[in-house]
Amino acid sequence: MNDKPVNAVRSIRGADLAIGPCRVLPWGDLRIPRPPALRLPVAGALPAVIRVDLGFTRPKVTSYRFAPPAQVAAPAAPPRVLRPAEPAEVATVDAAPQSAAVRRTRIAPPRDVVKLSEKFFYLLQPDLETMLHAGKLEFPRQPFPFQFDGMAFLMPRHSAVLADEMGLGKSMQAISSIRLLVRSGEARRVLVVCPKGLVSNWARELADWAPELVVAVIEGDQPRRRWQWSLPDVPVKLANYEVLVRDRDLVAELGLSFDLVVLDEAQRIKNRASQTNQSVRSLDRRRSWALTGTPIENSADDLVGLFEFVAPGQISERMTPKAMGTAVSDHILRRTKDKVLKDMPPRLNRDERIELTAEQRETYRRAEEEGVLRLADMGREATIQHVFELVLRLKQICNFDTATGESAKLECLQAELEEVQASGRKALVFSQWVETLGRLEGSLKRFGALQYHGGMSTVARDQTIQRFKNEKKHSVLLLSYGAGAVGLNLQFSQYVFLFDRWWNPAVEDQAINRAHRIGAAGAVTVTRFLSVDTIEERIDEVLRRKRDLSETILSQAGEPASAGLTADDLFALFKLAPPRQRAAA
Amino acid sequence: MQQQAEPGGDGAVFGFLTAVDSPLHGLFGGYLVVDAVGRPLEFHCTAPVKVSRAQQILYGSTLHSHLHGQQIGGALLAESKASPTIVLTDHDAMLHVRPHTKLPVALVRPLDGESFAAGFAVGESHVTTHAGDPTNEAAIRDWLATLAQAVDLREPFERIRAAIEEAQRH
Repeated sequence: MNDKPVNAVRSIRGADLAIGPCRVLPWGDLRIPRPPALRLPVAGALPAVIRVDLGFTRPKVTSYRFAPPAQVAAPAAPPRVLRPAEPAEVATVDAAPQSAAVRRTRIAPPRDVVKLSEKFFYLLQPDLETMLHAGKLEFPRQPFPFQFDGMAFLMPRHSAVLADEMGLGKSMQAISSIRLLVRSGEARRVLVVCPKGLVSNWARELADWAPELVVAVIEGDQPRRRWQWSLPDVPVKLANYEVLVRDRDLVAELGLSFDLVVLDEAQRIKNRASQTNQSVRSLDRRRSWALTGTPIENSADDLVGLFEFVAPGQISERMTPKAMGTAVSDHILRRTKDKVLKDMPPRLNRDERIELTAEQRETYRRAEEEGVLRLADMGREATIQHVFELVLRLKQICNFDTATGESAKLECLQAELEEVQASGRKALVFSQWVETLGRLEGSLKRFGALQYHGGMSTVARDQTIQRFKNEKKHSVLLLSYGAGAVGLNLQFSQYVFLFDRWWNPAVEDQAINRAHRIGAAGAVTVTRFLSVDTIEERIDEVLRRKRDLSETILSQAGEPASAGLTADDLFALFKLAPPRQRAAA
Repeated sequence: MQQQAEPGGDGAVFGFLTAVDSPLHGLFGGYLVVDAVGRPLEFHCTAPVKVSRAQQILYGSTLHSHLHGQQIGGALLAESKASPTIVLTDHDAMLHVRPHTKLPVALVRPLDGESFAAGFAVGESHVTTHAGDPTNEAAIRDWLATLAQAVDLREPFERIRAAIEEAQRH
């Protein structure tokens, strides 16, 4: 290579190489283009710095403060302090619930609580077991877990229906909740309303489950009741429905207001037009609780009547059962024994089908034929009352022959009671007629039969219960459905006989559950007497088809039927069309 | 002005401090002050704190002590008007709140048959006081023994978590 620049290189010709002759190939332009010079920047802009903010902004804190629980002042002059008649076995929670295995019952805020601060108030409370332990609250018996759940349901609610099946301790759950509310200062004035026959039962239960609470029973003449209503510093007042209706104006005049009103056997207010319903609704109150084992006795309207007290406007009769179920679901708690008391002694049901005696059968046949003929003759003039009278007459004959006094049922009952007495057990016998109870008492003297019905004074009824419970010679208690089906605790009885049938299965269930309830020592045998081929069988068939109305609504499904007997049902018992259909025809 | 009740007495109050990590929202802090029988007096909770990836990398092992102790714990205790006998936490990292408060702080853990190098048992819980705490451990043990008569020492943390869960739904 020479030092000449590239662009000075010339073509090579053949002569120059002296090898010839050969063809000269033109090489063309062999100039190689000059490569472009690359300039690398030596000094440039500084690279961008990415700043990473590693600091934390202090988080915003939201604060909630709760008023310390108020101390409950002891009343200056207790008007009446009720104490348990018998010393109860006391179960004290003597250690804080430490183990994770220990059940903790939390109080959940109701769904209608919207404000977060109110929700926190409930969520941040200790569990019920801790509250009870901390408050050194004693129970005569250790509550069942589902009863703690019941308290946790009631306590935070201003509108609540405790609809547990009979025998699960609704009153105990309500009393314990009242106790906690009073202890925490959330309730200072509580009114409990119950049927007249249950006042002394409630007084006993209050003394058992909340012995520290002073209770005033509203009773006696008007001046006395005025004084009792006016008593200050009495946390719990106890009145019966009749007194409340009578004193409606007085309560208004005194300007009484209550932190809590509890209605026991609240199905009493199912009829919205009734004075009882209107009287309880007129009470000035912050919380409204209803206790009932049968929130729906006959139709969904019963529940509407109940909710006019519990949560006015929450439901209406125009709602479908499903919509109604949804609307009330956060306000109603219902448990059944088979769900929560798996260890409870079983209830054994048996239908005793009884053949009437020959004389009874003849009397029955004549009465029915004459009665049906009379109804047929009356045509459109026949009313529900006429049919009802015939049904009653036939049912009475099924109990006792009106002509001869014979009774196939009585014979059967006597045989059964022999066994009951021999085994040292106790039996309850229910009838819808006080007159029947009287006849039975006369025939069952050897079993020490006692009567319990609405025609007796409250004192006499209480004494009867005590005698039946405590005296071994009394093996049988004869009760009317009206007075004996509600509120009584007769779990020391192992046998229940339904001598005749009530119109509504819910009332029969209530009667049965006097014996089959918490505390029952063993299986409870329920015997329902049913006269073969009589009106009793036909009624039983109708009621069987209708038993599940309550469950339909409470489980929010299906179209409910009526649970009890309607006018149409009664006419149908004799294959008669109801009056309006006959009129249309 | 903060009122200091007699430690361990009937008027004594106790603080419970914890944090809840929500995958969706971030880290919430909660502080519950209860009376001697466990009833709530004050509750404070923080807005959620989200930690960036860069913070995670660059804070390294110091992240949790800084976040729980200074940022969340410090903020919560600063808002409280109560002056509890002791602040209990069930979260190790929360112990780092101690330099930011004058209150004694202790860690509560379940016993669960474990053996611990330091601390003492109260009921079915094990309590470890903060290493640098000048407060007499014997005194703390007495206060907590009194509280544990009424309340399981780990139970109030469940309440805080339930409240924070509710706040997230709200």
